[in-house]
Amino acid sequence: MTTGQFLISGWTWSAAVFLFSAAVLALYLFMFRVGRRIGYLAAALGVVLVTLISPLNALADGYLFSAHMLQHILLLLVVPALLLLSLPRSLSLATRPRVFGHPLVGWVAGVGAMWFWHAPALCNAAVSSRPVHALQTVSLLLLGSLFWRQVLAPRENERLSPPGAILYLFSACVTCSALGIIITFSPVTICSIYAMPPVDSLDMLPTIRASWGITPERDQQIGGLLMWVPMCLIYLSAIIAQIARWFAEPVVPATETT
Amino acid sequence: MNEVTSALARAGLLTPVQREHWAIAWISTVDHKRIGILYMVTALFFFVIGGIEAMLIRLQLAVPHNALLSPDTYNMVFTMHGTTMIFLVAMPVLFGLANYFVPLQIGARDMAFPRLNAFSFWLVPFGGLLLHFSFLAGGAPAVGWFAYAPLSEMPYSSQPGVNYWALALLVLGIGSVGTSINLITTVLTQRAKNMTLRRLPLFSWMMFVNSFLVILALPVLNAALVMLLIDRLLNAHFFLPPGGGSAIMWQHIFWAFGHPEVYIVAIPAFGILSEVIPVFARKPIFGYEFVAGSTVAIAFLSLLVWAHHMFTVGLGHTVDLFFVASSMLIAIPTGVKVLAWSATLVGGRIRLDTPMLFCVAALIQFLVAGLTGVSLAVAALDWQTKNSYYLVAHFHFVFVGLIVFAILGALHYWFPKMSGRMLSERLGKWTFWLMTIGFNLTFITQHFLGLAGMPRRVYTYADLPGWGWMNMVSTVGAFFMAAASLIFVWNLAASLLRGKPAGDNPWSAWTLEWATTSPPPQENFLRLPPIRNRRPLWDDANPDRPDPLVGTKWKADIFAPEKNKTAVIVFIISEAAFFGVLILAYLFYNATPQPGPSAHNLSLLKTGLFSLCLFASSFTIWRSERSLSQGRRRAMQGWLATTILLGVVFIAGQGLEYWTLFRSGVSVSSNLFATTFFTVTGFHGLHVCVGLIALLIVLGLMLAGDFKRRPSPALKAVGLYWHFVDLVWVVVFSTIYLLPHLR
Repeated sequence: MTTGQFLISGWTWSAAVFLFSAAVLALYLFMFRVGRRIGYLAAALGVVLVTLISPLNALADGYLFSAHMLQHILLLLVVPALLLLSLPRSLSLATRPRVFGHPLVGWVAGVGAMWFWHAPALCNAAVSSRPVHALQTVSLLLLGSLFWRQVLAPRENERLSPPGAILYLFSACVTCSALGIIITFSPVTICSIYAMPPVDSLDMLPTIRASWGITPERDQQIGGLLMWVPMCLIYLSAIIAQIARWFAEPVVPATETT
Repeated sequence: MNEVTSALARAGLLTPVQREHWAIAWISTVDHKRIGILYMVTALFFFVIGGIEAMLIRLQLAVPHNALLSPDTYNMVFTMHGTTMIFLVAMPVLFGLANYFVPLQIGARDMAFPRLNAFSFWLVPFGGLLLHFSFLAGGAPAVGWFAYAPLSEMPYSSQPGVNYWALALLVLGIGSVGTSINLITTVLTQRAKNMTLRRLPLFSWMMFVNSFLVILALPVLNAALVMLLIDRLLNAHFFLPPGGGSAIMWQHIFWAFGHPEVYIVAIPAFGILSEVIPVFARKPIFGYEFVAGSTVAIAFLSLLVWAHHMFTVGLGHTVDLFFVASSMLIAIPTGVKVLAWSATLVGGRIRLDTPMLFCVAALIQFLVAGLTGVSLAVAALDWQTKNSYYLVAHFHFVFVGLIVFAILGALHYWFPKMSGRMLSERLGKWTFWLMTIGFNLTFITQHFLGLAGMPRRVYTYADLPGWGWMNMVSTVGAFFMAAASLIFVWNLAASLLRGKPAGDNPWSAWTLEWATTSPPPQENFLRLPPIRNRRPLWDDANPDRPDPLVGTKWKADIFAPEKNKTAVIVFIISEAAFFGVLILAYLFYNATPQPGPSAHNLSLLKTGLFSLCLFASSFTIWRSERSLSQGRRRAMQGWLATTILLGVVFIAGQGLEYWTLFRSGVSVSSNLFATTFFTVTGFHGLHVCVGLIALLIVLGLMLAGDFKRRPSPALKAVGLYWHFVDLVWVVVFSTIYLLPHLR
């Protein structure tokens, strides 16, 4: 299959994804009506569709480790962040048990989701087994939400203070970068199923290897680098947003006392 | 000497008793101002040495086929020049300025830990001595300031020079981390009331951010250095390909430190520019928030982009591509800064006194350095100009054009505060013009030399078209700079003795260091003006039109934690960076099995049992803290003694493991597994031993009746460290002992 054919026929028309998106949209409209923040929800659902419907999903499904990594980053870091941003600012996320609101839990959820799903056995299982794959997708969305709520919770008092959030994001970035560095330079294959795909259902392997020039080694390198560099830039953007939040306090007239 | 001491006494730096014993008074001082001056004097001393080395280099290269220096001597000279200028000049002088002015700017009495401060300083002359002792011990290092393996390894550099180099840098690195822990703790815990984090003067803010960079980056270098030393002295295999090691690994670790290092010396320079330019433009800085915020972004990005130093190594197009993109991103926050400084100048009533001249020149030259920097971030261009004089010109535009100029600006700006006397403005202008002309002659020319193909680090060159005269111009420029430096030193000495009295605030500046006498009294401030924003002295002088209030909406603004706990947490962060590198190296080197001993030679069960002892000790020390806070001193002593006992049992278990391995002929030189295993567990064991000593001291003090006050910060701080050591063992144990059984 050539690249052009693949771009036309590589779409995964998954009913589950559409149903999920529609359900989220309906639930949102039912609970919050249409507000200015619905744009974030539309963006979140758009990213979900790109991640799970577009040819990216077909590539991640047994062909390219790097495509899988891109999916992973989008589901863990981008979609949950956009979902949290779409919530009305008055909504409280304080839940029981209160342990979900602890920064350490959020941090371990965000960082752990990266390390956990890249243990070689689990990484392979997520490709070869449908239920495990579904579990992975759902867990990334949930863990990502736990991670981001420390920074992006709708209510100001449920977020970390800006310097705390900066340390939270920075340490998460360093820990994920470490894994990215390991994957980039590791002489062993992290996710062996991508190195030797057992089935080539779309007949894409010759195109990927020959005309795209992506060897299994290079594929893993791109995957590691995606986790190392662009993912850190997501954290960096969040850090810059935190600095802006810290300094954005409105200027009070000079007559007021300290 | 008498005249100097009396000048210092006049300047208020010596009390009558101290004048009697001035040497002891300086050597034993723990006052942040004196330590700051000691830092700067030490840096000046090494600046002269590094400068002489630079002149030797330029003399050797003045004409083609020169034979002034032999090739070996030339290699030593450029290695020592680079190492000296970075580690013994730039970092000490910046730490000196930070030492002197951060406590003053935040309205503090002293640094958080005055004795740690003195310790960190004295490591600088000690490190400098170690480094230069190599000249007597059979030759200085001749491997370049980044000491690439395998050239720096025993088979290729068998002289002890590299050992001295590594040991000296290790000593200096420990001192830098100590100072940075101190600076972070000082800014967090010693600020005057109302000096909130968002009201910090930009120099203090940037030193604060910068200190985080130091505690993250320097431990990475320290890890690389101990690995190199273990290779050289114990025949290990980290960076030697014949034993399975990786020379590229050295480059990765070194540049993971080396790139942030550029910013470690550049960010304080940014801080200086942000202080001096507004004062001499008579305007508040344009976009304080952007200047402060972009510093965080720069610090963050600088940790991310080291691989752009390695484009020609052959990491592959994929890797290069990512680092081209991320390296270019740094241009955005630095551009924000340049814009903010320029916008501060626009419409200002600019006074071109010497400090301002240096800072404006630094700004312009930094712009040039930034542009060549972006060009070098393009891998294709980097391939053409790598290791040519184009690169030399680029980084000298950063190190001299920005940093040295900013430092000279700062010294001219703050000398009146430190000495109570003005520097001669006439000599200052001479220094400035000679320096600027000399610098640009030397290094603008070198861009073209590089583009004409002249490689760096060659002791001589053929008489190719253009090379001869360009090198000559470069050498002439260097002599201008040397002359400027001599005039500057003369100015310092003459003004100290006979300078015009400065008064409290000669530049009509706005930050707190100018709210006290020049030089400040021992206790720094007799009273502080009210602090409502970033320019308290402006408000003081212009009560009818004060700056707008900078609020305290955030709890973080007035964040002031307990200082011992803060320092230990910061120390733990730096230790985590150190262990992080060692553990990553372990994972990398053991990804594929080696012939010879492996993780299967280890006894999982026995070590597992001993590890349980260590993990249990985290619980007992927690109990000990609880008992202390409940006032049950006997119980607390019991739990503490149990903790120590458990720690000793663990160490004994490690000893047993080592003994078993040694008996079966496994040593650090056996293979890569043994090398990495002994390094990681050995350093962990060392940390356990340090923790044990700390615990023993606490227990001893306790038995002697100390800590009557209930909440004891000492036990809490040591306890935190102990938990950290246990946590490291959780990771090490899982990596080394458990992981192989999972595969």
